[in-house]
Amino acid sequence: MSGAIATGATTDPHAADLGRGSLLLAEVHRITARRFIRWLLAVSLVTYLVIVSIVGLTQFAKPSAAGLAHARHRVQAAVANQKAARDQCLKDPNRPTDQPAEQICGPDPAAGMFRVQDFVDPPAFDLQRDLPATAIAVGVATAALAFLIGATYVGAEWSSRSMVALLFWEPRRLRVMSVKLGVLAAAAALLGVLGQLIWLATAEILQSTRGAPTHLPAHFWSDLVAQEGRTILFVVLMGLLGFGIANLIRNTGASMGVGFVYFAIVENAVRVARPRWQEWLLTDNIAGLLSKGGYRLPVDSAAVSPGGGVVPGQPHEIFISNLHGGLVLGGVTAAIVAAGVASFVRRDLH
Amino acid sequence: MTVIEVAGAHKAYRRPRRPPERALNGLDLTVASGGVHGFLGPNGSGKTTTIRMLLGLVSADSGEMRLLGEPVPRALPAVIASVGALVETPLFFPNFSGRLNLRLLAETAGVSRSRVEECLELVDLSGRADDRFKAYSLGMKQRLGIAAALLKSPRLLILDEPSNGLDPAGIKEVRQLIQRLGHDGRTTVFLSSHQLSEVQQVCDHVSILARGRCVATGPVSEVLAGQSTGDVRLRAPDPAAAKQLLEAAGYTVTSLGDAWRVHRATGPGAITRLLAENGQYLTELSPIAADLESVFLELTREQT
Repeated sequence: MSGAIATGATTDPHAADLGRGSLLLAEVHRITARRFIRWLLAVSLVTYLVIVSIVGLTQFAKPSAAGLAHARHRVQAAVANQKAARDQCLKDPNRPTDQPAEQICGPDPAAGMFRVQDFVDPPAFDLQRDLPATAIAVGVATAALAFLIGATYVGAEWSSRSMVALLFWEPRRLRVMSVKLGVLAAAAALLGVLGQLIWLATAEILQSTRGAPTHLPAHFWSDLVAQEGRTILFVVLMGLLGFGIANLIRNTGASMGVGFVYFAIVENAVRVARPRWQEWLLTDNIAGLLSKGGYRLPVDSAAVSPGGGVVPGQPHEIFISNLHGGLVLGGVTAAIVAAGVASFVRRDLH
Repeated sequence: MTVIEVAGAHKAYRRPRRPPERALNGLDLTVASGGVHGFLGPNGSGKTTTIRMLLGLVSADSGEMRLLGEPVPRALPAVIASVGALVETPLFFPNFSGRLNLRLLAETAGVSRSRVEECLELVDLSGRADDRFKAYSLGMKQRLGIAAALLKSPRLLILDEPSNGLDPAGIKEVRQLIQRLGHDGRTTVFLSSHQLSEVQQVCDHVSILARGRCVATGPVSEVLAGQSTGDVRLRAPDPAAAKQLLEAAGYTVTSLGDAWRVHRATGPGAITRLLAENGQYLTELSPIAADLESVFLELTREQT
């Protein structure tokens, strides 16, 4: 170091050109430079490609002309079978007469009621069926990834105590936390968008190589875009939730533990002991947010206590709308994030 | 101009099921600009709490503080660009390289990358700048912490135990660096250290803390003079006769091995005369100067 100090003696201390600092830029640099986050993303991408390749190769096959003809034949056979069963039902003398025949024996079957794709064997990739369903699965996986990234992003700052070092440069704690939350929300949104785009591209490849000809219903794409919008919102909320828990307890590993205890123990305990409360559980509200038109949650009425507002023995259903799901998830996330931020702003740091 | 002012600062840490731990008990502290100001005190005397309060990490229960003339923590955002700090251990991402850790901090304040390289060079870490922080030795980590504190070319540099973990050569070089910075006409170095010799060698001024209060402050030489005992070291051709004469005259005399120590010798001339009149001509008579260690121990013992 002696040589260095000699060199330093020539350094003009006024030379440090302090420009307009950018906490935002530094935070973007900080999150993108994190090795663990890069590793998580790389492993997730590789896992996705492996799973998609295996499922695509083993579960789907592009139907041949003969295969399609065979499927159409099977559709006709299914129509004929249902027609025969319906005719038999209509001729049954014991059929209740106080209800409409349609309700007892079903509608008059027609070929249009069946989709040829459902009769192709081996099954082909079906854009109408598989694209929205798998988009949700991809969204859930991306949300889990966002949760991990959010937790490790702030958890590592606490474990290395570089959060404290940052305050020597930007002492406005609320500003520090706001920028971190903003960067994480943007990163999670980007992750959600990329996840959905990658799946869309994959689906296009699967459709062209292993899909059956299909006629998509009206509103298919608008419904899909709405679903993906809700999915991206979900990914952002999960990223913020991971951040919020890790920031509150100041430890990444412990935040994972809290998540595990909640999903594995608390939710199951609530389902058994207080079924009516399920409408406030995170998993059911996630389903409510992501499902088209909301989520109908069947409740085992026998398990409902007499004071629970459900008549014993009657089937019962709880409806969780998209809005309800979003508000509950958003509310829980906001409360946890706010508690962590308030603690950070007010507490002494050592 | 003063760079640090603390007036009547109190701080107590609450502890569950135990009485609060009082860290500061009406601390008054003034640090003038320029030079190196030492901050001495035994463990638990409140040094690190004071530094954390100045940097806005810990809130005071009462009292007023100013950094570079601005009240803190309220005006801290306005002055932080002129304050560099290394508090206890350097705080960096273990998996990032030294260079990346500095760049991330530099970006926050708009410090140029060339300044990052300059500071790495200054602490002799350029050759290891791309190694991960966790692979650094304790001394290298400490040097990176000093580099981070220097990035802003601060007007006030707060260093808390900067020599921790450094080898003797590193300690010497850090001390030279501190002295050079403290006398560059721009930077004031506020050095918290438990190494009394370091403070005595490096600092121009010193403040001594005990139980959360400042018990002595001023130029090092004045603090030492203020605590001077008036003892003298004395040698004579017949040591036993000299001792007998002095004790008979009411002086307290103790042995220093090859010489005597005469305690609270208010008039060295009277000693010379007394011994000369009895045929004892002195071969040495010199004042025993107080060193910082004895002053520190004396002051902090009084407070405990």
